[in-house]
Amino acid sequence: MAQTINTEVTRTDAPRKVTGAAHYAADFTPAGMLHGALVTSRIAVGTLTGIDISKAEAEPGVVAVFTHETLPDYKTVKGFYAGGPGSASFWPMEGTEIKYAGQPVAYVVAETAAAARRGAQLVEPTYEEGEANIAMDPSDSFIVGAGEDSKGMTVTKGDVSAGLSEAAQSVDVEYVTPFQHHNPMEMFAATAEWRGDRLTVWMPSQSVRTLRHGISRAYGLPETSVRVVSPFVGGAFGSKAGITPYTMLTIAAAKAVGAPVRLIVTRPQMYTVATFRPESVQKFRIGADASGKLTAFEHIEIAQTSQFDEVVNPGTHMTRAMYASPNIHTEQRLSRSDTNTGGFMRAPNEMQTFFGLESAMDELALKLAMDPVELRRVNDAQTHPVAEVPFSSRSLMECYDAAAASFGWADRNPEVGGMTDGDWLVGYGCATATYPTNISPSAARVRMQGTGHAFIELAAHDVGTGSYTIFAQIAAARLGLPVSACDVVMGEAHLPLAPISGGSTTAASAGSAVHLACLNLAAQVAREVSQMSDGPLSGVDPERITLEDGVLRGPDGQSQPLLEALAATPRGEATAEGEYRHPALTDQALKLTYQGGYGVAGPVTPEMAMFAFGAEFAEVRIHRWTHEIRVPRLHGAFAAGTWLNRKTAHSQLMGGMVWGIGSALHEVTEIDHARARFLNANIAEYLVPVNADVREVRVEMLEEQDDYVNPLGVKGIGELGIVGTAAAIGNAIHHATGKRLRKLPLRMSDLV
Amino acid sequence: MDNFAYFRPGSLSEAIDQASAEGRDILAGGTTMVDLMKLDVQRPDGLVDITGLPELEGYEIGADRLRFGALARMAEVGDDADLAAACPALTESLWKAASPQLRHAARLGGNVLQRTRCPYFRDTAYVQCNKREPGSGCAALDGGVTSLHAILGGSEACVAMYPGDWAQALIAFDAEVKTQGPGGTRTIPIADLHLRPGDTPEIETILEKGEIITAIEIPVIGAMRASHYLKARDRESYAFANVSAAVGLEMEGDTVSDARIGLGGVASVPWRASAAEDVLRGKTFSEDLAREAGRVAFAEATPLEHSAYKIPLGADVVAGALMTAHARAKGEN
Ligand SMILES: Cc1cc2nc3c(=O)[nH]c(=O)nc-3n(C[C@H](O)[C@H](O)[C@H](O)COP(=O)(O)OP(=O)(O)OC[C@H]3O[C@@H](n4cnc5c(N)ncnc54)[C@H](O)[C@@H]3O)c2cc1C
Ligand code: SF4
Repeated sequence: MAQTINTEVTRTDAPRKVTGAAHYAADFTPAGMLHGALVTSRIAVGTLTGIDISKAEAEPGVVAVFTHETLPDYKTVKGFYAGGPGSASFWPMEGTEIKYAGQPVAYVVAETAAAARRGAQLVEPTYEEGEANIAMDPSDSFIVGAGEDSKGMTVTKGDVSAGLSEAAQSVDVEYVTPFQHHNPMEMFAATAEWRGDRLTVWMPSQSVRTLRHGISRAYGLPETSVRVVSPFVGGAFGSKAGITPYTMLTIAAAKAVGAPVRLIVTRPQMYTVATFRPESVQKFRIGADASGKLTAFEHIEIAQTSQFDEVVNPGTHMTRAMYASPNIHTEQRLSRSDTNTGGFMRAPNEMQTFFGLESAMDELALKLAMDPVELRRVNDAQTHPVAEVPFSSRSLMECYDAAAASFGWADRNPEVGGMTDGDWLVGYGCATATYPTNISPSAARVRMQGTGHAFIELAAHDVGTGSYTIFAQIAAARLGLPVSACDVVMGEAHLPLAPISGGSTTAASAGSAVHLACLNLAAQVAREVSQMSDGPLSGVDPERITLEDGVLRGPDGQSQPLLEALAATPRGEATAEGEYRHPALTDQALKLTYQGGYGVAGPVTPEMAMFAFGAEFAEVRIHRWTHEIRVPRLHGAFAAGTWLNRKTAHSQLMGGMVWGIGSALHEVTEIDHARARFLNANIAEYLVPVNADVREVRVEMLEEQDDYVNPLGVKGIGELGIVGTAAAIGNAIHHATGKRLRKLPLRMSDLV
Repeated sequence: MDNFAYFRPGSLSEAIDQASAEGRDILAGGTTMVDLMKLDVQRPDGLVDITGLPELEGYEIGADRLRFGALARMAEVGDDADLAAACPALTESLWKAASPQLRHAARLGGNVLQRTRCPYFRDTAYVQCNKREPGSGCAALDGGVTSLHAILGGSEACVAMYPGDWAQALIAFDAEVKTQGPGGTRTIPIADLHLRPGDTPEIETILEKGEIITAIEIPVIGAMRASHYLKARDRESYAFANVSAAVGLEMEGDTVSDARIGLGGVASVPWRASAAEDVLRGKTFSEDLAREAGRVAFAEATPLEHSAYKIPLGADVVAGALMTAHARAKGEN
């Protein structure tokens, strides 16, 4: 059997996707379905003083208009940051309070989508408007969880002030990152159908089990009565993880009108009815001795949060793991403003914090007159600087060396402004990438048939990353089948436990479960054939039969392909489950996962610190006349344990770097301070890189063995690529121009 | 979007009749019109689709005159090699606009009439917008974000920026707009077509109800050959200009005999920088002179809260465009 793991395998779902045979959640249309539309609030803070629905109700095709007063049986769930499955703790349409612009205030149901939207336009709310601030005031911040359980939100080791006074050089700098929105191509959508007490919800989701658990609890139904379907997801990036009001409103509306209802949220509404990347300020004080060794490291992160939640995506947990220092202080702070609650967006804290950290390291290297790569090398930590446990594997400098060689870093003229090409100023920059390895408990079921086919079933999701393919590959490798004979079924909540598709968790966690299920299936077949009267393994002690590349092997050289053995059994078919749990996973985290939450082992366990690493190098060009900033080359090298599929992994890393270009140069959700609204809530005005912005992006994938992380040796890679890109580009801009831009996005307007 | 009646006239005169009724608008490629209808910013009772009128199609690149039918597509004209040789600035202003999809849909007549991208105009959740609701105020000037607004030609009522690219090149070369309406035909210099906002920002052009642009014509002049359209923007493609300049130079030896400068991304209407042209005419070309012209082009600019950067940026863009035009005049580029 040909090797299937660590090879390039084309996505198994690609033909279905490009031919339209792949049905996304909003492609399912139950009979008699009606259409929903949201009416959202114009003001950001205040009270709904009235709502006139008469015109909307009179519009042809409109079936019902629901407001906070008229939607029966509307249920809510606890917010994620309060330990629940919801995207936020505050639920709209429960009362008259308005807490953010774009908050749903009415829900229209109509016979057609056009009539629903038309009806929504005709709803006339009136408000009493209050004072609102959409942007945080960083000078008014608080430490997360201060007082009680601070969960490592502040950490102090040694004495940073003392370390700074010993330093030969130091930096004391502040970086600012903006609000950003995910903008997945597939719109937010939910379709709900009630049949008596049984409910089906079709919805693009990063966690079908979270949805089912939360919805069934809210309605007091057994989980067996709630079906959640999400076979394909057209991009999520963190925006489709929690239970949002638009889903619960649709479920309630369907119940109220007695017919299935589908809501497709409009693009502008997508900016306010779910989550986003909160704005942040990253403050660093870092000192080093003349050799570059750090004497002090301080990072204070201030992130924006809503008035009703504490969004804790602790970035300082990652920055303090990077470089050795005897004196460390980190603080995780929040500052409130009048928005919906933010949440996760690809590398939810690492994008911001590593823009800060890696720019600050560059500033320090310049002060020390040191090659920035060498500064990372002298401070490369082999044990976690705070937890003081070894890294399970850490190939940061191998990544730097590989990427530097591929990029041609050695040819750099280190002098600022020293490189030009015609009308272009040229600059080179580099930065570290990292992402924590989060390992969730996970389960999978494998059914193999003597005809040479296997079904792999689990409640995981393919959010466009290639999960369908890698699970088929793992099963194929273990069972000795071609990848095309392994049919993966996912995206339904009744399937065996799989984690939320977030935190780059799925491949490592659910992949390990698929692997274990295959081993269990083989053990079962081994038992059966050992008891049969003939066959190569007849009479062999089944405990001593092992599975190797799809072949059962006895202790004395006996062997039989698994498929042949299975075909010889009376049933000719076998089913087995596998359940994977990392030894360091606590019972609490296990329980949380089974209840639809995000329970993980890592990244720091009592024995080890688990992170994936990379290094990124950027060439930028700045036009002498237009001051436009372009990135002709971006090279990254990454090490993340075993590569399951070199093609989809390459795409993940490359996609991350491409998004990194966007984070560096383009993306910003602009805000209108006066009216506390997001201003550019559409993809014509919210800039993301277009093809022409993405030139050479080279990805090198280094081999790394890590036996601690999980049986497959896999670390998550979905988010790794975006981390550090903005800093590499910013550092290159400084190299080209001598200007240090400390606020994302980095724009030509900053360079004139 | 409101319901509306859809008309498909069989002749130009029928189109003029249909479009002359109150509440009706003309539909060409629809990339501005339908966009704004979906946003509920434009709410016509009826749309008169002129795309079935063959007499408005086509274009000619003549030796003395360029003629573009109002229904010629941005893409077909942008791809024309003869135009690229005759006047690179015109070609570049089309090529650098929008996206390939939009350029295939959009027509040149509709293009010059595209409407502002002011976010407050485009989002009806903002109560204040004098252009959308006369007398309601201006959200941009009332504490709003003004990074996309006009620093030239605005008023206290409205500082919306004219966002197009093609019209900047047209104005640099004295294009004429041919129209036919209820009152007959007329020829309008492009510089007279658009109106500055003044107290009536809702009135954007001098066109009368039912008046249809039939063609755009440009007499060929010497400064067209050595011309350039330079567009500065935060991403490489598919973005409106932060600042742009359409320039043309005619040289006699080292002396500038004619200079043309149109400015984009900075003004309320397509903008001709005549004072900057005067800086160049009759002088020996140099980088310093180009920079001087750039500075003069923005001498009258009024920076808004978030657009002060456009003044130095604009000066550089004009100077840079002139450098390229000069290189072209010398046969170097
Ligand atoms: C996302 C996006 C990005 C864009 N980026 C750019 C850019 O970078 N640069 C740029 O220059 N443009 C850009 N555009 C604007 C685009 O070029 C214009 O929308 C387009 O040129 C308009 O032409 P149309 O045929 O679609 O006009 P329509 O939308 O059909 O009409 C526009 C207006 O002109 C009127 N009209 C049309 N034809 C006539 C006529 N013959 N006589 C009288 N009135 C008429 C209509 O009534 C309407 O008011 C962009 C547009 C979009 C949506
Ligand atoms: S600048 Fe003009 S278009 Fe924009 S909000 Fe003000 S009045 Fe409206």
